Amino acid sequence: MDWVIWLIWIVKGFFLAMFLLVGFAYLTWYERRALARIQVRVGPNRAGPFGLLQPIADAVKLIFKEELTPAKAYKIVFFLAPIITMVPSIIIAAVIPWGPQEPQVKLFGYTISLYVADINVGVLYLMSIASIAVYGIVLAGWSSNSKYAMLGGLRSTAQMISYEITLGLAFVTVILLAGSMRMLDIVEAQRSWWFVVIQPVGAAVFLIAVLAEVNRAPFDMPEAEQELTAGYHAEYSGMKFALFFMAEYQKMIVVSAIAATVFFGGYLGPFVHRWPLLGPIYMLIKIIILLFGMIWVRATWPRVRYDRLMAFGWKVMLPLALAIVFITGFGILLAQELGDPIYLTVIPAASIVAGVIAVIMVNRALTRKRILSYEPR
Amino acid sequence: MAATPLQTQTVDLAARFPSAVSVDARNGYTGWLVEKDKLLEIARSIKEELGYDLLTSVTGVDYLPEEKMEVVYHAYKTTGGPGLIFKVQVPRQDPIEIPSVTPLWPGVDFQEREIWDLLGIKFTGHPDLRRILLWEGFAGHPLRKDWKEGFYEEDAKPFKSRWPEGNYVSSEEKNPYKDNLSFPKNFDPEKWIPEGEAALYGALARYTETDEQGIKSDRIVVNMGPQHPSTHGVFRAVVTVEGETILSLKPVVGYLHRNHEKIGERNTFLLNMPYTDRLDYFNSMSNNFGYALAVEKLMNIPVAERADYIRIIMAELSRVQNHLVLVGMLLNDLGAMYTPALYIFEERELILDIFEAVSGSRMMCNYFRFGGVARDIPEDVLQKIKDLVFKRLPAKTDEMDRFLSENEVLVSRLKGIPVIDGPSAVQYSITGPVLRAAGIPYDIRRADPYGIYDRFEFDVAMRTHGDLMDNYLIRLDEIRQSIRILEQAVSKIPSGPINSQKPQYQVRVPAGEAYGRIEAPKGELGYYVISNGKPNPWRYHVRAPSFINITGLEKMCVGKKIADFIAILGVLDIVLGELDR
Repeated sequence: MDWVIWLIWIVKGFFLAMFLLVGFAYLTWYERRALARIQVRVGPNRAGPFGLLQPIADAVKLIFKEELTPAKAYKIVFFLAPIITMVPSIIIAAVIPWGPQEPQVKLFGYTISLYVADINVGVLYLMSIASIAVYGIVLAGWSSNSKYAMLGGLRSTAQMISYEITLGLAFVTVILLAGSMRMLDIVEAQRSWWFVVIQPVGAAVFLIAVLAEVNRAPFDMPEAEQELTAGYHAEYSGMKFALFFMAEYQKMIVVSAIAATVFFGGYLGPFVHRWPLLGPIYMLIKIIILLFGMIWVRATWPRVRYDRLMAFGWKVMLPLALAIVFITGFGILLAQELGDPIYLTVIPAASIVAGVIAVIMVNRALTRKRILSYEPR
Repeated sequence: MAATPLQTQTVDLAARFPSAVSVDARNGYTGWLVEKDKLLEIARSIKEELGYDLLTSVTGVDYLPEEKMEVVYHAYKTTGGPGLIFKVQVPRQDPIEIPSVTPLWPGVDFQEREIWDLLGIKFTGHPDLRRILLWEGFAGHPLRKDWKEGFYEEDAKPFKSRWPEGNYVSSEEKNPYKDNLSFPKNFDPEKWIPEGEAALYGALARYTETDEQGIKSDRIVVNMGPQHPSTHGVFRAVVTVEGETILSLKPVVGYLHRNHEKIGERNTFLLNMPYTDRLDYFNSMSNNFGYALAVEKLMNIPVAERADYIRIIMAELSRVQNHLVLVGMLLNDLGAMYTPALYIFEERELILDIFEAVSGSRMMCNYFRFGGVARDIPEDVLQKIKDLVFKRLPAKTDEMDRFLSENEVLVSRLKGIPVIDGPSAVQYSITGPVLRAAGIPYDIRRADPYGIYDRFEFDVAMRTHGDLMDNYLIRLDEIRQSIRILEQAVSKIPSGPINSQKPQYQVRVPAGEAYGRIEAPKGELGYYVISNGKPNPWRYHVRAPSFINITGLEKMCVGKKIADFIAILGVLDIVLGELDR
C-alpha cells in the first residue's frame, strides 16, 4: 500500500475532526444568534463582526477556568467520562459520505473519495458508536458523587436506551428501502425519490428519536436545568465541562448529517453527478437547515415531564416505529410481487394513516378528563 | 355599592363566653381578649360555629412596659365581610407558653414558628416548633423590645449620631454594644455541627424498608436549593424522593432574612414606606398600598379623590405585570427556554416605564404617601397608560393565551395535576390566585373592599379544578379583569389634589392598632401596625402572602413528581424578599 493513501486518510480524518470542532464552535454561535432572533433579542454581537469571534472568546474562557474535582469523586472515571462522551461523537462521522463515488475527484493524480471510511455495515456502525456515548454520561453522573449528577445520569441512560430502539427501527425502514447498510448505497437509492417522501412518518419518528438521543429540548431531561440544576455534568467545570458541551453539539451536527443522509438525500442535488464537489455543499446546506429545526424546537417548546417522556417513547414511538417497519416491508413486497414500483405508494399512504392514529391517541391522552379532586360549591 | 347585611354583622364574643373573653378596651384597639386556657375552645367555636374559616394572620407583640406578651389572631370569612380579631395576653416571663391553634388551622404552622423564632413565645402542641427565619444557633429572640441588635444606638430613627448635623464620626466605633454577638459557651464555629439540620431531617418522614434477604433500603434525600435555578431565589426544600416521586418535603426559608420588622420598628412611619418596596420587589406599588392603608386607618385621615384613582391604576398595573412575569417564569420552569418570558418582559418594560415616569424608579417606587400619592401623573403618561390598557395589553394577553394555552406539552405538564383543593386551601390560610383557582372566590377587593374598589365593575376570577392548569389560566383571567378595572379608572379619573395632607416629613400617628390588608397579586398582603403615639411604630408586622402560601407546600407536593414540584413552586409565585423579610 502506498504511503500516500495513509496520508490521504490522515488528512481527511483531520479535516473531518476539524470540521466538527470548528462546527461545534460556530454552532454555538449559530444557536445563540438564532435563539436571540426568536426571542426578540440581539444575541452575541460584540466580539468581532456579528459576534463571530464569540466562540473563540468562550473557548479561551473555558480553558483558563479552574477545574474542580469533587473531593469524594472517583477520580479516574471522573476524568475519563468526558473523553468517553467526546470521542464517539467525532468518530461516528467517519462513515458519512460527502459526495458521490462517480465521477471520481482527482487531486495531484490521486483519487480522493469524499468519505473517510466506506463500511458495508455503515448503519450498524452508526448505531453501535451512538450507544457508547451513554457510558460517558452515566459514568460522569456516577463518579461525581453528587445526587443531582447521579439522577441526571440515570435519567439520561434510561432515556437514551429507550429511544435508541425507536431510532434503530427507523434505520430499519431505510435499510429495507435501500436494500443495503452501506451509506453510499443508501444515498444513491434516493436518486429518484428522497426517502422522506417514501417514508415521511419514518423520517418524523427518526427526527424525534434523534432529539431524545442527543438530549435536546423538549427531551433535555438529563440536563433539565430547572429540576436537576445541570444534570450529569453538574460537578464539571472548565475544559472537562467544555468536552461535554462539545460532545453535545458535535452530536447535533452528526445526527443532522445522518438524518440528511438517510432521509433527505445526503449529498444529492442538482448537477452533483457532474461536479461531485457540489456534494459537500448540498450536504452542508441540509445540515444547517436541520440544525435550525433543532434550535427552533428548543426555542419554542417546554420540556416534557420525565415519566411522560418514557411513556411516550415506549407506548407511542415504539409501536409506531414497529408499524412503519411492517408497512415498509409490506409495500416493498407488494411492489416486488406485482412487479410495479407504483405499489410503493402504499408505504407513504399507510404510514401517514399510522402516524395520524398515533397523534390522535396522544391528543386523547392529553385531553382526558381532569382529575376532579374538589367539587366547587 | 351598599354593604350587604353579611358585611355589617358583628359578633359579640364576650356574650358568648362571658368568663373567658373580654373586650379589648385599650385606646385605639379593637377585638377581644381571650383567656389563654380557653383559646382552643373559643377558636374552635369561632371557626366552626361563627364561620370565620380563614385565619389569615397570626402575630405576636411584645408589650415591654406592661410586662406582657400578646398574640393577635385575625380571622375572616371566605364569604366576605370584616374580620374578627382576638388576642391572647400572657405575662412576660419565660417560658411563655400559648396553646397552638395548628389543629384547627394548619396554616398557622409557619407563622407560629416565626413568632417562636422572633418573639420567643412557645406554642404547646405545635407539631414542629423550630426556628424558621433565623439560624439554629441564634441567641435570643430579636423582636423582643429588650433585644438589641449589633451596633445598637437608639430605639428609633433618626439616630442622633447622624442628625441633624450629619457629621458623624463612625458611631460604631464608640458604641458600647459593638456587634452584639453572643454565642453559647465553648462555641467553636469550626466544630459546630448544626443541630437544626438534624432536627430538619428528623422532621422529614423516614422510609426504611427491609426486604426478604434482610437488605435495608432507604429513600434518597435531595436538597433542592438554596442555590437552585428554579426556586426563584435562596429557597431550599429538603425532599425525600422515591425515584422521581416526592415522599416528603420540608421547606427551609430565612436565607434572605434581615428582620424587616425590627428595622421597621426603628424607622419612623414614613421611613417605612420605601422599605416596603423591598418586600415583594415585583410589586412595590401594591406593598405601598397596603402599608398606606394601615397607617391611614390609624391616623383616620381621608385619601384625596384623584390619588385614590391613581392608587388603583398603579396597583392594577402592578398586578398585570406580576402575573405576566409569573406566566413567563412558569414557562421557564417548565423548560421553555426563556422565549415566552422574553416576550412577556417586553410588555412588562412598558409598565415599568410608567412606574418610572410617575415615581422616578422602575421597581422601588416609593410612590404612596399617607393621604395620597407622592407625585401627580403627567398628562402624557396618562395617555400612555390609556394606549396600553385599551390597545396593547388586551391584544398581547390574547396573543399569549393563543400561543401558550394550547401547547400540547404545556397542557400535558399542567392539566390534571392538582395543586390544592378548596377546603384545604382555606385550612392552610392560602390566599390569592391559588385559592381562587381552587374554587373559592375570595378576593379582598370584593370581600372586604378597600380604597375605591367598590366603584368599579369587575368579576372575581375563579377556576374550579385547582390544578396547575387552572392556576395558570387564572392569571390570564386576572390580567383581563385588571385591564377592565384600569379601563374604567383611566376614563373616570378626576382632577384635583393628590394628597389630602400637607407634605410632611414626620406624621403624627395616634396610639392604637390597625390591620391594613389588600389583595396583592400574590395573595393577601397585610400590615399590622401598632402605634403608641411616638414617631415610630411600636410594632410593624407584615403578613406576607408568599410566606403563608408555602405553609401547605408539603401537602401540595407529596405524591407528585419532582418536575411537578417545580411547577407548583412556579404557580405559588413566591418572592424571597417577602418570604424571608
